[in-house]
Amino acid sequence: MSRREEILAKSASDRYLPPSRLELLRILRDPDASAATLTRAIECDPTLTANVLRLANSAYFGFARSVASVADAVWRLGTRNLRQLVLTTAFSPMQKQAVKGYDLPPGDMLKHSLAVAVGAEKLGRLLKVPGCDHLFTAGILHDIGKIALGTFVELDAAPILELATREGLPFVEAEQRILGIDHAELGAFLADRWNLPDEVVEIVRWHHEPEKFSGRNPAGDLVHVADALCILGGIGIGTDGLRYRPSEEVCDRLGLTETATEQALSMILLGLEDLEGAFS
Amino acid sequence: MPAKQRIIGIADLAASADPDEQLVAYSLGSCIGVALYDPVAKVGGLLHFMLPDSRMDRKRAETRPALFADSGVPLLLRTAACLGLEAKRARILAVGGAQVLNAPPSLRVGERNFEVLRKILDELSLSLDTAEVGGTVNRTLFLEVGSGKAGVRTPGGETKYL
Repeated sequence: MSRREEILAKSASDRYLPPSRLELLRILRDPDASAATLTRAIECDPTLTANVLRLANSAYFGFARSVASVADAVWRLGTRNLRQLVLTTAFSPMQKQAVKGYDLPPGDMLKHSLAVAVGAEKLGRLLKVPGCDHLFTAGILHDIGKIALGTFVELDAAPILELATREGLPFVEAEQRILGIDHAELGAFLADRWNLPDEVVEIVRWHHEPEKFSGRNPAGDLVHVADALCILGGIGIGTDGLRYRPSEEVCDRLGLTETATEQALSMILLGLEDLEGAFS
Repeated sequence: MPAKQRIIGIADLAASADPDEQLVAYSLGSCIGVALYDPVAKVGGLLHFMLPDSRMDRKRAETRPALFADSGVPLLLRTAACLGLEAKRARILAVGGAQVLNAPPSLRVGERNFEVLRKILDELSLSLDTAEVGGTVNRTLFLEVGSGKAGVRTPGGETKYL
């Protein structure tokens, strides 16, 4: 078995998500699922329910009146927004943990993920680039492959770092050379397995190689640049550090300027402060 | 090894005269950590700023002055002065200001951070004793308040004393 096959086999084990959560992800994906089915599935998971309500009531989302129950959320926010909130919180327990292989202490992966989600939204507004319904979710989940590599597979980053440093390669390329797979590809494999929306799978897959998106993907471009900003700002970065090569073409087509970069970084910090309470 | 570690996060600063304390700024990418140490007063200070110029957002600079170089540096000096630090006697170090690989101009905030930092210090008639800036590496800066020893760590690398 090659290293790549071994990694895929280890990551494919479904023990990383509780069965109730896998079932919920399946229901979220089903366009015919009724609001009642959705409500029931969320309410079966008390931790998730509490997290979704906390997030709905956070300063970041700032819905005018407080959202008291899942039924209330369906009625007030609509099932589309509710699906987003569920996807935003469904993975936070695994995102909160330390990611050993990348040398991320507890909390840093979640912080980076939230920062990229906030950054993608803020950049979209600043640069007047419409994203898509799943922009925030894609931002939150772009690095789930790192959790799989760093935790499930217990990757040894030393040879990857050594190769990346020696040859001046982006870390993802060094992952691909040493492991036969990189965190973006593994992340997309998991996102697909976990029934996440196709748009999310696509963005997770190519967030470091935006030239490979099938067709124009403004939401993917926003996640790509938001990720670069958060890496640059040192928000939740580990062993891989700054070893990423953002696409100049994407920066240009989004119309990114020095000023926009600085404004977005400031907004990301503010957004993180507004979200922190909801994930503590 | 100092007993207490105090982490200075992004857009934060602190001064200390506690000899058991170590001030640390983790994961400096384009952000810059500025450390001050007065060997006579045995007072240290550390600022972890993210952006060069507060004219971008004055209101934000009022609530988070340590976010910007131009509002953070004077506040760091004032805060450390309250504990007896004299700027003229202090060693001043800067670490960070790095880039991602092949960064396009719009993402070169690290370079701008360092330019503005030097300008501000110049205006205050102060200068940097040591700087470990630029490149494409993320760095961690620490300052031991008891001894005044400062150092920088990079992923997979050794600690380098400054």
